[in-house]
Amino acid sequence: MLFSEASGRKVVSTSTAETLGQIADFVIDPQTRSLVALTVKKTDHGDTLLWSRITAFGSDAVTVPAAEAIFDADDAVAALSGKDHHPIGKRVLTTAGEDLGSVADVDFDPENGRLITLTLATGGIAAERLIAIGSYAAVVHPDS
Amino acid sequence: MSRLMRTSEVTKRPVVTLGGNDVAQIKDVVYSAGGGAVDGFTLAGRGLFSGPLNQALPWASVMALGPDAVMILNEDVLEPTATVLDPSASSGGSGGDVLGSQVLTASGTELGTVVDVILEISDAGGGQCDVVGYEVEASEALGTKGTKVFIPLPDTLAVSSDHLMVPESATDFVAHDLAGFGAAVQAFRQHLQGPR
Repeated sequence: MLFSEASGRKVVSTSTAETLGQIADFVIDPQTRSLVALTVKKTDHGDTLLWSRITAFGSDAVTVPAAEAIFDADDAVAALSGKDHHPIGKRVLTTAGEDLGSVADVDFDPENGRLITLTLATGGIAAERLIAIGSYAAVVHPDS
Repeated sequence: MSRLMRTSEVTKRPVVTLGGNDVAQIKDVVYSAGGGAVDGFTLAGRGLFSGPLNQALPWASVMALGPDAVMILNEDVLEPTATVLDPSASSGGSGGDVLGSQVLTASGTELGTVVDVILEISDAGGGQCDVVGYEVEASEALGTKGTKVFIPLPDTLAVSSDHLMVPESATDFVAHDLAGFGAAVQAFRQHLQGPR
């Protein structure tokens, strides 16, 4: 599933059947190349939904057990969120110092949150090559 | 595999950590006093209004000098500028700026004025970064006055801020474009080693 498809999707509580919010952004851990959390547009409880608290990432909505699954970001998540770590629009540099273009979209597995590919204007890059995302660029291993 | 690039292309290039942060940009290249190798880089801050940094990047800490960025492990590899500049200042040469120096052959013919320095970067990690030649604005002696040509250099040479001494035979290996220059450097160095 692409970030662009998933963005804006409803977050629904399975216990109350209420819509709790909409997906606003994604928090990536480059070390594990997977999603650690989603951020939702501000709710009463907070704005961060850890991936581990999600019941299911469905094609129409993301379900969570209860409204309490959404809370304010802890330090670990806060360190990974923010504009500096956001991949979309960021240039991609290899460790050899070559600019490959900028990230247009990210494909991930809705089952487990693993990143699959970074989509660039020039083609896709396997997410396994990702090393880190910083303020200037996403750094990837060179094409082997 | 190795690549050739002009020094002027390297300056302004961002210095990026493996974490993806741009910590500085290249301000200038520090050559070892023999002129044969690159010792490191002085740095300037990123952004329009940032001035020079008091930190420099030793060549040993450069992971890759790529076409779009200079990659380093992290910010900690930067060292105070003085420690990178010192060895080159003390190892015999006069230091100073090589751009604008006159290129003289051993017999005293002026070939032109240095306008840029050509670096050869070997691709292997931690590889050498050598000065392999100079881009020179040619004088009459080369028969192409006013045009820019590339003059290959031997491994070691004498250089000061006024003059750059090259062997007589360098004139036979002048190249007119950077693409053909790699082969010219190889041929020239083999020629120098040959008679010995």
